[in-house]
Amino acid sequence: MVAPLKSLAVAALASTMLATTTLGALAGGVLRLDEVAVGEIDPAIASDYADSILMFNIYDTLVLPIQGGPGHAPHLAKSWEGDGTTFTFKLRDDVKFVSGNTMTAEDVVFSLDRMKAVGKGLSYLFANVDKAEAIDPTTVKFTLKTTYAPFVASLVRLPIVDKKVVMENLGEGEGEMKDWGTAYLTAHSAGTGAYKIVSHNPQEETVMEKNPDYFLGIPDPAPDTARLRYGLEAATVRTLIAQGEHDIASQWLPPEVIKALAGGGAQLLTESGTGAFYVKMNTTKPPMDDVNCRLAFSEAFDYGAAIKMIAVTDTVSQGAPSTGAIPVGMFGANPADQVLKRDLDAAKQHLAACKYKPEDFTLEISWIAEVPLEERFALLMQANYAELGVKSEIRKMPWALFAEQVSKPENTPHMSQLFVNAVTGDPDTLLYGMYHSSAAGTWQSPEYLNDAEVDKQLDAGRTATTPEGREEAYSALNARLMEIAPTIYGYDRQAVFAASDRVKVPALSDPSKAFGLDGMGFTFRLMEVAD
Amino acid sequence: MKPLARLLAKRLVTSLIVLIGVSMLIFAIARIIPGDPARIALGPNATQEQIANLRAELHLDDNIVVQYGYFIADVARGDLGISLYTNRPVTADIAQYLPATLELVLVAGIMMVGIGLPLGIWSARWRGRAADNLIRLVSLLGVSAPSFVWAVILMLLFAFYLPLFPIAGRISDSYAIAPVSGFLLVDTLIHGDVRAFGNAAWHVVLPAFALALSGIGQAARLTRANMVETYDKPYIEMAQSYGFPARRIANHYAFRPSLIPSLTIIGLDFAAMLGNAFLVEAIFAWPGLSRYGVAVILRKDLNAIVGTVLIISATFLLVNIIVDLLIALLNPRIRYSQRPA
Repeated sequence: MVAPLKSLAVAALASTMLATTTLGALAGGVLRLDEVAVGEIDPAIASDYADSILMFNIYDTLVLPIQGGPGHAPHLAKSWEGDGTTFTFKLRDDVKFVSGNTMTAEDVVFSLDRMKAVGKGLSYLFANVDKAEAIDPTTVKFTLKTTYAPFVASLVRLPIVDKKVVMENLGEGEGEMKDWGTAYLTAHSAGTGAYKIVSHNPQEETVMEKNPDYFLGIPDPAPDTARLRYGLEAATVRTLIAQGEHDIASQWLPPEVIKALAGGGAQLLTESGTGAFYVKMNTTKPPMDDVNCRLAFSEAFDYGAAIKMIAVTDTVSQGAPSTGAIPVGMFGANPADQVLKRDLDAAKQHLAACKYKPEDFTLEISWIAEVPLEERFALLMQANYAELGVKSEIRKMPWALFAEQVSKPENTPHMSQLFVNAVTGDPDTLLYGMYHSSAAGTWQSPEYLNDAEVDKQLDAGRTATTPEGREEAYSALNARLMEIAPTIYGYDRQAVFAASDRVKVPALSDPSKAFGLDGMGFTFRLMEVAD
Repeated sequence: MKPLARLLAKRLVTSLIVLIGVSMLIFAIARIIPGDPARIALGPNATQEQIANLRAELHLDDNIVVQYGYFIADVARGDLGISLYTNRPVTADIAQYLPATLELVLVAGIMMVGIGLPLGIWSARWRGRAADNLIRLVSLLGVSAPSFVWAVILMLLFAFYLPLFPIAGRISDSYAIAPVSGFLLVDTLIHGDVRAFGNAAWHVVLPAFALALSGIGQAARLTRANMVETYDKPYIEMAQSYGFPARRIANHYAFRPSLIPSLTIIGLDFAAMLGNAFLVEAIFAWPGLSRYGVAVILRKDLNAIVGTVLIISATFLLVNIIVDLLIALLNPRIRYSQRPA
């Protein structure tokens, strides 16, 4: 009995050593990163951060955000012109899909039609598009129902798919277009991207490799293979990075774990400028229907303490001090040095001017159960408002329950904590859904704000066709939102990623190379991975 | 009909009734959990129109009885619907993730039997001595801490401080094994890749051991208790007085009758591991069905919840049938009690 056991142990040890050797030899050029959510590779369904990483690598879009600056640069397009209602794009004629098919205007039209027909993911961004037409193989024209200046920004969320491949792979469904290829595209890619799918397991990982025929070419130091893993536990990520078996951790690690990794030598990468942490006040519910009470709560909020709570190290934090309703870097934002600060005296003055007295109400402060950090902010607010003599109750709400409850103003808590991002990088996709009176009653708009001046400036931001005009509209909007305080503008959000020193990610470490769009910093072709 | 065949037929009929009951129960419970599945699936940016369209597509606006009718009609065609979590057919998800969990649980089950039972036998054989006390202490430790605690401890000890075992996954990235059965330990051998087999085996050790530890402790404690009781039986005393070797008495005369209660518990433990594997799968990034099951419950993915629960229930019932048959084989009294009167 002893001999076979000994043999088994020797065999196991030998196989272990062999396996280690094999792994070590092949590790060069492989980028390993993780995300919390499962990855969705169908462009018409993709919506969250993990999906964005996939989209920006396996597909291309007509335009890209300019690195380090505002505005957009041509990508699959060569140039464009537009008047706010119609936009005509001239396309490159040297772009091929991974199938070998040439990308044409027909593919662009098909990609838009498909996204609208499937009606999931970020398709709502194109609800205002009346039609897209292929004028010739390299010219495509979009006609909008109403003027929408940020349309070009929306195009960063329209990945172009290979029409021929999709049409050859239609699945079961009704009508001529059957399932619009969703069954096929949830398992395969059909893009022009710098990377192509090798394997995709939505719960485990997506493996991508360089597309050797990429129209822009891919620098040699860029990863040959990228493995995007899903749903790793914080303890697992920490161990993997410490052992050199993982390169970039997701931003969703607890600050303590990021700090521990940084202490162990990991570099910290950051992405900012697209969103903020907001405490939204239900303006229909007493005492929040009185602007003085809202201003009192805004002034009493301890912005400095909030920033300390999200600090990872002395120099890196998961947020930057807020300067107003609009994150720094966007149209209409206040300068970075005009940070909001707590002013308890001003808060007391506003509270004295409020028609409701502290003893007459109890504030309901909610936090989303899936975001434990919000509980700390709820406790901070409870302590802050206790200094004003205001009683408050903290209520934990699962996301699903919160999203349902905010559909009615009477069920919406006094204060709701939310992280909101601009999905296209344009302030319109951040602010319109939060503050326009026509958008009230969604998870983004528990303020139920109904202010004519705010509506006017939001509409002006959509219709102004020059950068100066948009800057003016959003500056006026920012000032108005500070004046009527429907929200406590907590801090400008900054995603922090712990990474091994094997990788260089200029778009996440050099502000002049940053894209200002969530997930685009993970454009693999612009990264460098050491062998 | 032979007694064993009669027992099998009885168990199969009962299992079918249980499965139908489970399907109705889980179908109703999944719809009672707060939150709109369509809203959760489409994410925070979805419009009311998108939500309404998906609700209509999923028949969520229909009466629950009508919804169950649609479900049964689909199940009859072998279709469990599309998962809102992965956007793939639930059957495809189950086919991909179930083998990973079964492989983990089977290895854990082998560890449970292969380590737990011998520990129990040795403990009973040397009862009252230092070895017995040590085994009882270790068994108690195994039982008293949940498997995810062991998972973290084992990872820290044997993957972090002493990097002897891999931290995550089923096989190293350098191996690409085309799935045949979905069981990597089997598929690597089918492909004739011994290195890959060693690598997959190396990956399964820590998660399986973490999952099995509680069961090992349970099996050892139960086997010991039953054997100690059996040692007091007259036929054991007779064997001892005849001078039979202690090892033979333990293995042949004391162990076999003591195995029946242990086997029942091992069977239950084994089946329970299917559900309990979630945290171990999460910690070791094991892409299995338990992890998938919890993810779909959190996202209120109705089709996937029902599909996963049904598969886990069916596996649970299957394991229980196997255990019942084994017990009937070991115990003639049970076997012959199945005879018609």
